[in-house]
Amino acid sequence: MSSPPLNGIRVLDFTWVVAGPLATRILADQGAEVIKLERKIPAPLRPRRVGLQGGLNRNKLSVAINMAEPRGIELARRLAKISDVVIDNFSARVMRQWQMDYESLAAIKPDIICIGMSGFGRNGPRVNDVSYGPTLQALTGYTMMMADERGDPVGWGYSYADMAAGQAGALAALIALWHRSRTGRGQFIDLSQFEAVASVIGPALLDAAVNERLQKPFGHNSQEAPAAPCGLYRCRSDRGDDDRWISIAVRSHSEWRRFVTAIGSPLWASDEKFRTLFLRMRNRVELDAHITQWTLEIAAEEAMATLQQAGIVAGVVSNGADLCQRDPQLQARGFWPAVKLPDGSTTRVPGIPFKLSASPSLAPRCAPEIGDDNDYVLGELLGLSRAERDTLAASGAIWT
Amino acid sequence: MNEPGALAGLRILDLTDHKAALCGRILADMGADVIKVEPPGGDRARRIGPFLDDLPHPDRSLFFWFYNLNKRSLTLDLGCSRGVDLLLALASTADVVIESFAPGELDRLGLGWQRLHRQARSLILCSLAPFGQTGPYRDFIADDTSLAALGGMLYVNGFPEQAPIRPLGLQSYHCGAEHGAIAIVCALLQREQGGQGQWIDLSIQEATAAAVEQVAASYFGEHKIDRRQGTLHWSRFFRVGSCRDGYVVHCTLGDWTSLIQWVAADGKAQDLIEPQWNDALYRAEHAEHLFDVLDQWIKDYDCAELASRAQALRLAYGVVRPPEALLGDEQLAARGFFVEVEHPELGRTFRYPGAPFRLGAAPRCVYRRPPLIGEHSGEILKSELGLETDQLAALAAEGVI
Repeated sequence: MSSPPLNGIRVLDFTWVVAGPLATRILADQGAEVIKLERKIPAPLRPRRVGLQGGLNRNKLSVAINMAEPRGIELARRLAKISDVVIDNFSARVMRQWQMDYESLAAIKPDIICIGMSGFGRNGPRVNDVSYGPTLQALTGYTMMMADERGDPVGWGYSYADMAAGQAGALAALIALWHRSRTGRGQFIDLSQFEAVASVIGPALLDAAVNERLQKPFGHNSQEAPAAPCGLYRCRSDRGDDDRWISIAVRSHSEWRRFVTAIGSPLWASDEKFRTLFLRMRNRVELDAHITQWTLEIAAEEAMATLQQAGIVAGVVSNGADLCQRDPQLQARGFWPAVKLPDGSTTRVPGIPFKLSASPSLAPRCAPEIGDDNDYVLGELLGLSRAERDTLAASGAIWT
Repeated sequence: MNEPGALAGLRILDLTDHKAALCGRILADMGADVIKVEPPGGDRARRIGPFLDDLPHPDRSLFFWFYNLNKRSLTLDLGCSRGVDLLLALASTADVVIESFAPGELDRLGLGWQRLHRQARSLILCSLAPFGQTGPYRDFIADDTSLAALGGMLYVNGFPEQAPIRPLGLQSYHCGAEHGAIAIVCALLQREQGGQGQWIDLSIQEATAAAVEQVAASYFGEHKIDRRQGTLHWSRFFRVGSCRDGYVVHCTLGDWTSLIQWVAADGKAQDLIEPQWNDALYRAEHAEHLFDVLDQWIKDYDCAELASRAQALRLAYGVVRPPEALLGDEQLAARGFFVEVEHPELGRTFRYPGAPFRLGAAPRCVYRRPPLIGEHSGEILKSELGLETDQLAALAAEGVI
């Protein structure tokens, strides 16, 4: 086993909310030393070591530097000088006023890689617009296409946009590191979260561009190979919870025959109107009513096992407990690693969705409270003595 | 200017089907030479619509086009030993092989990790499978919806009394593909430090589960199972509202004072002027009432006017638009998000959605349209493997290419 892929890479992390911290978490998980540069706030809105923040900030370090003070800015610039990557998700103005923008940093560290993960990018008519995930999901079409039964827009229940942008941010940093290893050159990547989210809509956007087709909510239709039955079916209630569903897709004739056998060869299934895929798609309302009669009598897990055994695509619509505790596959692959907290208790966080055969999979380190790593970062990395740090603290340039 | 892109010089053999094709597309957008290895007759994705002008044909599938921009195509029958030998020879010239066969299938073809590693010690193999290469679900089959279901991505979208709502786009596959690209570049960087190639075992279910923001956080952090709550975001700071001519997303994070002064100036603030609403946590706790009042306020506005006035106050309102609105979006146009790609055999040029980001140094500037079936078989086998014209003719006659 060798050291992790990003061993020796240092990332100075100014990001906040979700997309930016996800990008740097992906880098931290692969062995980069990620230093969160943070402002001390009296009482954080959400707990830091568990939940969303705990998951996003695991494996990172935290230093509490006051960027409102010139001496704080100077410390940040010294840190940038010994870093490989600097990431932020502010608007353009912020990094520039601190002289932490790419041009300023390249003057003191020529091969620095800077990534600005702003909402809309650093130029264009929306350059000053503000956004969160739901804003971007609305603007890009997800909210409208993900409609309810009446066709009204609903969209995601969460900020998938932050996930897509965070993954893109991590990839951008990695590709820039690769480019640097080949050329010795750093660079600035002006990443627009709006574009990262638009880039993964998929063939629907190309259809709009090429065929000039107005897109409609896809409703029950498959967005990949045509299938019928296809979609989500309500299952038997489980311990009083009737919000149990299974996803089923039957694509070919042989799958249809196996499906019919698996659900007990009911009489309706031999009806002429369900004989071909085309007919099943055309008569899908009636077909779905028949299938729901079967699914309502069976637990979602059991329906999935029965259908998978017959070689049919089927999956439980997992809620939090299914996902985090009951799903045997995620458990078997150890997808929810435990994190030890300072008080001796443990919490769990999402794992890394891939395993590298030549890299050790390390147990994640617990997320830091703000300023937890002041001593290491200011003392060891910047070589400041205890007395110098005390002076900085007294002058308000750092928080202890 | 014809810059080669940051990954220029890397060769990637892309053996994937549509589940994982985006992975190679992203790397090709960054300049890698990605060779799509298709079975004779073409990748099955070529049969998936929509099609150009709605005319089904393997070289007109927009589904295939989207996922295979910038790649070259080589047809190869991996079911016969000649095809396998050619692939092994080609693998010796490559840095990465990406595949999404059912687990075990690559071994059965004689192309498993051990074999590839013996062939080329520095080769990286990235295997994307619905559930990964191990575990009780290893051999289960899946589509994007079932992976979104099992990855926790569906349960929280929609209204509690209705079925969950599936994402626009094949987002489980996309999460798998993005993480595949991340893993590949990590493995390349590790190889640079003097390491060898390695095998990446990626589970699309896990990539999906890793991209559900709050569900696991609620479960492990608060012992709570998140439920669907209509258009209300889990954080309770956003909800869809209806204007005179369409929909917007409300946002109650940020400068509350500016928002409520505006609403009050319109005479629609009701009780929201009371001081307790200044507290963000209070606003989240009482989100239903808050958004009901704001819905009353916006119903006589036009969406675009409302959102633009909100943005001027730095409030993150957004208009709910269809995807085609992006085609006329001035921001995307100003930054060159869409790329013009010429299809010479059709005599037409189409606008493609571009890469998730462009690099400041070494951006790719020239785009290669998605390949026709086996379009580059001859050039690849000739120039990379040194095959002669008559050998190619024989392989074609035997159906290997």
